[in-house]
Amino acid sequence: MTIYNIYIFDRMGTILYQTNWNRLKQSGMSSEEEAKLMYGMLFSIKSFVSKISPLDPKRGFLCYKTSKYALHYYESLTGVKFILNTDITIKNVRDLLHQLYKEIYVEYVVKNTECEMGQPIESELFKLKLDQFIKQHMKSLQ
Amino acid sequence: MNPIQISNMRQKTSILDKSISKGKGEINMNCFALMFSELVQYCQGKAHTVNELQMRLSDLGQEVGTKLIDLHFLREKNSKREIKLLNMLLFIKSTFWKSFFGREADKLEHSNDDDSTYYIIEKEPLVNKFISVPKDKGNLNCAVFVGGIIEGILNSSGFNAKVTAHWHKGTTYMVKFEDHIITRDKQMDER
Amino acid sequence: MSRQNTRLDVKKVNSELFTLTYGAIVSQLMKDYENVEDVNKQLDRMGYNIGVRMVEDFLARTNAGRCYDLRETADKIQYAFKMYLGITPALTNWSAAGDEFSLTFDTNPLTEFVELPDNYQNLKYSNILCGALRGSCEMVQMDVSCWFVQDQLKGDLATELRIKFNKRLEDAIPAGED
Repeated sequence: MTIYNIYIFDRMGTILYQTNWNRLKQSGMSSEEEAKLMYGMLFSIKSFVSKISPLDPKRGFLCYKTSKYALHYYESLTGVKFILNTDITIKNVRDLLHQLYKEIYVEYVVKNTECEMGQPIESELFKLKLDQFIKQHMKSLQ
Repeated sequence: MNPIQISNMRQKTSILDKSISKGKGEINMNCFALMFSELVQYCQGKAHTVNELQMRLSDLGQEVGTKLIDLHFLREKNSKREIKLLNMLLFIKSTFWKSFFGREADKLEHSNDDDSTYYIIEKEPLVNKFISVPKDKGNLNCAVFVGGIIEGILNSSGFNAKVTAHWHKGTTYMVKFEDHIITRDKQMDER
Repeated sequence: MSRQNTRLDVKKVNSELFTLTYGAIVSQLMKDYENVEDVNKQLDRMGYNIGVRMVEDFLARTNAGRCYDLRETADKIQYAFKMYLGITPALTNWSAAGDEFSLTFDTNPLTEFVELPDNYQNLKYSNILCGALRGSCEMVQMDVSCWFVQDQLKGDLATELRIKFNKRLEDAIPAGED
């Protein structure tokens, strides 16, 4: 299995972090532009998904899938949004994202004075831990 | 003399009327660590240099240290104040550290080339839990706050010293006693 | 980098170290600001900064779900006080509309050893708590107001903190859309 890339947004739509692992084809736009469009798309999908839901949508939008990749969406109660693009074989990404929030974001961003809340994450410690986390999971899920 | 007007007296019970707690209360470490981060950030906003920041943290630590030691002796009715320098340091490293930081400090060492300098070593000081120092402030160690606590204790117990905190084997608190303290301690040995 | 690993277990620290460190902060603020109102504001701001981080720790640790009314939120707040400060405030004085309630404390670890001098009666010594509540509620999309109604430091029998729900906050709308 493969994880292609991640985006993390806060409640205000600020892109906190984005990075690629095995992304062979780029979108051809600047990463700022891409993040902006990503947030816009999610915002629209989310609101439409709950609008047309025949029942109380509870958690709402979770993922979409194409023939080549799947986009997984996890939102913490505090409105931090994690988006992970993976190949289409991978399962239980929701749990993985929840774990990522709990063990990486909370531990190395929230409990790290170097990171200002609501600002893009610059911390090397966070980058390192996130990279280790993703690589370890790519290996263990193979 | 005016009669005391009872009706005007505050009904507030004075703090001295309350008995002192057993001191076994505990709070969540994350709570302390977050508050300490705020303290550091506040001091950073007021300080122009790393040095000034360290001084502010040390001063606040001294205030806390002086009170903590008061509290300790008030509570432990049977304990006596140490008059020997080494015993005092051992007391800080063991008893004191344990009651307030939850475990003993890792090591106490005497400097090889300076009689008046001792080192208390702690691998992971509690206060640095959420603090990671930006590269441009490389030598800043916020555990200087704990250094201040040690200094507060020593100074209020008659062992005048200056305590600084350094990045070495984790954190090393360098305790430098004033010369007359060392002389006094030696004189006591001779007796 | 000065920090290596963070363990996930909840460690405790002596509450007196906490109490006296908070005391040192307040007295430092009293020295730095001439106006007591500014001290109150600064304490609130510090609390806010703590709150926005602490709520993430709380949610990650308790795996709490979303609250569907203020009573649920109140229970969570009560639990958070237990978890972080080791005290359980009573939930009292609900407003008829259910949008306001009080946390009533008979002990407050922040104020142990504290006596307020007569000329500092305007100082909201524990204001950091108001800020922390405001900050943590804001992160879960709730705009609340928070203030002290009674304070043992000022001679009241209990310490009472009032919380009022103002409105729900929505996600930011993407730039360029309405």
